[in-house]
Amino acid sequence: MSKRDTTIGHAVAAATCTLLGTAAPALAEDEAARWDFDTALLYYGEDNDRVRDLSASILARRDFDDDRYLNLDLTVDSLTGASPSGAIAMDGPQTFTSPSGNDVYETAAGQVPLDDTFLDTRFALDVGWTQPFARLYTMTAGLGFSTEYDYTHLGANLGVTRDFNRRNTTVSAAVAYAQEDIDPVGGTPLPLALMQDVGDDSSKAGTDTKDVLDLLLGVTQVIGPSTVLRVNYSYSDSSGYLTDPYKILSVVDPVTGDTIERAPASGALGPTGVYRYEARPDSRRKQGLYAEVKHDFTGKVLGVSYRFGTDDWGIDSHTLDARLRWPIGEFNYVEPHLRYYTQNAADFYRFSLLDGDPLPSFASADARLADLDGVTLGLKYGHRTVSGSEWNARVELYQQSGNVPGGQLIGNQSRRAVFPDLDAVIVQIGYRFKL
Amino acid sequence: MKRIVTVCLAAGMLTGCAGIGVDPWDRGVLARDDMQLDAYPIDASLDDHIYFSKEASSGGRGFGGGGCGCN
Repeated sequence: MSKRDTTIGHAVAAATCTLLGTAAPALAEDEAARWDFDTALLYYGEDNDRVRDLSASILARRDFDDDRYLNLDLTVDSLTGASPSGAIAMDGPQTFTSPSGNDVYETAAGQVPLDDTFLDTRFALDVGWTQPFARLYTMTAGLGFSTEYDYTHLGANLGVTRDFNRRNTTVSAAVAYAQEDIDPVGGTPLPLALMQDVGDDSSKAGTDTKDVLDLLLGVTQVIGPSTVLRVNYSYSDSSGYLTDPYKILSVVDPVTGDTIERAPASGALGPTGVYRYEARPDSRRKQGLYAEVKHDFTGKVLGVSYRFGTDDWGIDSHTLDARLRWPIGEFNYVEPHLRYYTQNAADFYRFSLLDGDPLPSFASADARLADLDGVTLGLKYGHRTVSGSEWNARVELYQQSGNVPGGQLIGNQSRRAVFPDLDAVIVQIGYRFKL
Repeated sequence: MKRIVTVCLAAGMLTGCAGIGVDPWDRGVLARDDMQLDAYPIDASLDDHIYFSKEASSGGRGFGGGGCGCN
């Protein structure tokens, strides 16, 4: 071996050792330092054995230098419990055909009917990319996918932001498009079709779809050294199957307000009253104005937001949200939270359908389309570790109450439980960390 | 017409905002994690999903994830 060969050999050996012995851990360390994780476990539970949801989420962000980031958001949901069907309470027990069409479920006398056949698991994945593409400009692009037993969502979004005014003003514009496939248990009910006996699928059709186009225009403005403001205008256009395939309406006597009774066919199981599946318009245009301000009071941070929503179904809503983050020492904080929401009923909301009247084009007794108010009270606690990770936990109570619009209660209806008010508890534990 | 009004509003806001703001050396507080408008995206996303399932209005802050979970 010549001297030159020896030198080269030493160099190769040194390089190999560097790669294997030193550089590999350094690379791994660099890779680990590029990742941020935000994780949460959430429990949502309603009173009276209604909906319970257990959800696990992980949000990961990888830094690719030069303000370029990859975001991954994965959520898994497990949903069980009972949900109001839209039918009204009666003095006697009621029997309904379950959405699958294979069985029946019953509601006790005087109770607002709940369908307790729900069991679903949702898996959702969103992937996003952010990067500057010119001086003062940043773009974001994302893809989203989610699937559950009866529903599949596929979406894409694209956004641009531009800084002005020494980066004190940021204007953003974004567009998102989604296509959703709906494959309800037991099929898609025909609009306002009658609920049939078990095994009779004459009121059901196959699957359906909907498309959603969202636009968002926003301005974020630094007001001062301690205050920042954001204002968004949003527009959303949905078209296709917008009906809830599991919601029904009771058909009632126009004088007594009682559900018209029926008997299942001889030897069959089936509903003991006359019920029709709901029908909503096949398009909906929503607009929203959202404003949010954050202000620092020497370490305490107050965040307040307000949202006004309006749509062509006749629903207007107002949402007010306030949080005060209060540090305790260097590593802890508490954050009380208050949220108030109010909406008026959709034009086609009907508490019940009158027997003998011509059928309307659209009708829904879904309580979520009625006049309702919601109040959330919560408290969050967070602890930051010396390494910069954060543990946090929050407990919130959500209370929703509603009204049936004036004039829709007939005869005996007004003396029975009319609205499925709900009390829910939200408990969340979170951990955010770097590797 | 609505578009024109929106564009005028946006332009007006931009012009009006031109004098508001701070110098880079005054951004110490604004740069803190707890002063970011999207400081806790996972909380916001989970809340959006809950209220989307229970109320008729949704969105406004940004785009939510997909799915129904409508019960």
